[in-house]
Amino acid sequence: MRLDVPTDFGFTEEHALLRGEARRFLGERWPMATLRRAIDAGGRFDRGLWKEIAELGWLGLVLPERFGGAGLGWLHLEILMEEMGRRLVPGPFLGSLLAGIALERAGSAAQQEQWLPAIAAGERIATLALIESGGGFEADTVTATADPVDGGYVLRGRKTHVIGGADAGLVVAAFREPSGRASLFAVELPTNGVSVDDEVSIDPTRPTARIGFDGVRVGAHARLEGDGATALAATLVRGCAALAAEQVGGAESVLLLARDYAIDRKQFDRPIGFFQAVKHPIVDMMCGVELARSLACGAAAAIDAGTPSAEVHARMAKALAGDVYANAVRKGVQIHGGYGFTWDCDVHFYFRRALWSRPMLGDAIHHRRRLAELLFDGD
Amino acid sequence: MSRPEEATEVKENAEFRRQVRAWIEANRPADPGFKLPQSFLEVESDRQFEFLRDWQRKVYEAGYLGLDWPSEYGGHSDPHKRQRIVSQELNRAGAPFLVNVIGLQWAGPTILAYGTEEQKRRLLKPILSGEEIWCQGFSEPGAGSDLASLQTSATPTDDGWVVTGHKVWTTLAHVAKWMILLARTDTAAHKYAGISYFLFPMDAPGVTVQPLVKMTGEGGFNQVIFDQAPMPKDAQLGELGQGWQIAMTTLTFERGAAEGSGGGSTTPSGESVRAVASLARRMRRDGRPAADDPVLRDRIAQTWIDEEALRLTGQRARIPGLNMDDRPLATRLMNKLVYSELGQRMSELACEVLGPDAGLWLGDPSAPDKAEWPRMYMNSFGVTVGGGTSEIQRNIIGERVLGLPKTK
Repeated sequence: MRLDVPTDFGFTEEHALLRGEARRFLGERWPMATLRRAIDAGGRFDRGLWKEIAELGWLGLVLPERFGGAGLGWLHLEILMEEMGRRLVPGPFLGSLLAGIALERAGSAAQQEQWLPAIAAGERIATLALIESGGGFEADTVTATADPVDGGYVLRGRKTHVIGGADAGLVVAAFREPSGRASLFAVELPTNGVSVDDEVSIDPTRPTARIGFDGVRVGAHARLEGDGATALAATLVRGCAALAAEQVGGAESVLLLARDYAIDRKQFDRPIGFFQAVKHPIVDMMCGVELARSLACGAAAAIDAGTPSAEVHARMAKALAGDVYANAVRKGVQIHGGYGFTWDCDVHFYFRRALWSRPMLGDAIHHRRRLAELLFDGD
Repeated sequence: MSRPEEATEVKENAEFRRQVRAWIEANRPADPGFKLPQSFLEVESDRQFEFLRDWQRKVYEAGYLGLDWPSEYGGHSDPHKRQRIVSQELNRAGAPFLVNVIGLQWAGPTILAYGTEEQKRRLLKPILSGEEIWCQGFSEPGAGSDLASLQTSATPTDDGWVVTGHKVWTTLAHVAKWMILLARTDTAAHKYAGISYFLFPMDAPGVTVQPLVKMTGEGGFNQVIFDQAPMPKDAQLGELGQGWQIAMTTLTFERGAAEGSGGGSTTPSGESVRAVASLARRMRRDGRPAADDPVLRDRIAQTWIDEEALRLTGQRARIPGLNMDDRPLATRLMNKLVYSELGQRMSELACEVLGPDAGLWLGDPSAPDKAEWPRMYMNSFGVTVGGGTSEIQRNIIGERVLGLPKTK
């Protein structure tokens, strides 16, 4: 497996402009005090913020222009996800992104026309239901079934950890047909026979739901035309690259919090950052963030360039970024000491996001297993 | 945004890379039939040294060294800065290393930055050709991580200086023509301000080079004792008392944190994990290929991730706008810390892949890969300690990049 990322990562001034815009907007619109107020008020998702994000074109950033998207690349998305991860932007952005990619990969022209413009405009919140209880994030573990009946299908099965499931007006989910092939279906919510139950998410900014399909009758048009397994594989690669970037952004914020605290907090008449037992873990956090960031950028650039190693890079990025984020929050709480153990300290919000996102779309253990297959069995 | 001139440049580089690769394949020396050193830390015998120096001369004569150095000093003034490509291809091919490492990568770039016109004209070309080998006189028995506490002195005479003192870990000193030397020229000044930087001729009287034996049992590593050893006035590099500042420049090159090398590289090629994977395919444990063991597979996959992350970080470091404006120094200053610790983890992992055969040492006829892996693991400490320990690297990064309070 030859690993290839364009020398310049496809980076242009446009990318720098997007980062500046995102950092400015989120810094003003979504500072930590606002996030904290929203969480304390029990708010799961800020519709006002969602609308503004839609107006900025972020919901359709990588969707084709003919469907109302901005038609930009994955390096743009990498930059945006990092900035959103830094600020813990709440809501179903990731679900909407994954559903949009799946529809773009598997939907017919008519299906794309039907759903994508509304997703890009933020008018309809969409999500992708991937995992079943005890299952995995890849198509080979799908056990939900789609049985053909006159003019359509009957869907049965239960999906869990569906991002923003209770806020969604459309769910894309994988079902196995009697032939054994996995297919994607787009089901409007609410629909008779579909139960949506909120899960209590460890990360209040990332609510998830269990969605049950209890003999749901859908028309033939609900089945996305393309091969489900192929589309899911492509969606997973892109989703991993995007989520890794968000994790890098979150880990960056924890690094800065820990660094600032180590400079401010004094014990033994010195800032605690003077002591190497504190200083060195912060440096290791930084190295982790920079290394994971390189993989996230590399995955994005490989997807943009269409190089065959995009899958390897996306799995590497998700694996490393998940572990780096987990290490950052572990050390982040510890370095904040007793204060770090309190609700008042901001680190636990990142701690929650890190725990939430580490297994999402496959954890490091999963991706390393797949990478080992590519390394040992691929050539 | 399309940038056609850059597209052409990239194409030119690709063509250049093909040329270099073909040249290496056609010209790399055959196995000499005797044990070769793994690195410049253990060049013991004359035949090892001559073999390696011949190879460097050949690469130089082919026009593949000093590409980025000015042509008036023996380089090529290459506008495309393609020395990096040559280094990558030499690594990829597993070609013998370029023996004048200290000259090419540390002393040369420092002389380019601080040398007088005469020093550059006199010293740089023989570095590239390998005709004059360099060693480094920084550390002392009492001055390791706290380098600025060094005590070796240079005292002015009528026509130059005399040096008295003791330097350690002076790799290649036994074959070197020159040494980059840090010596105290002002004992009254603050410890940093009293240090000056010299280009010392190793053939001076009063110099004794004694071998130190490394933990692998190999030599090539030395200590140097100076007893009133004379050097001329023009041995001084830069200003008097500027030694500490110049030494930091040298260390920046040594740690791979700045470009400007005359050849050779201290960053990973992205190929090392393949060697470990290939070893896992050849070794057997519990009656099956080691490559089938799920725990080993997981750990090898992790080093694959780590190696690729470091490789891409080096690539990203050359694109300042790409998510680096918050901490422009970070990706460069972390290079030495990350590659040295990764190399150590990787060679230790290879020893675990070997199983009981990790206990077979140089000279055992059944030792897989001639015991290269346990030897490499031991040698890896030369990299996590030399050039500033990992602990010192973490202090530097914490203080200079993150603004944490200074330790010293």
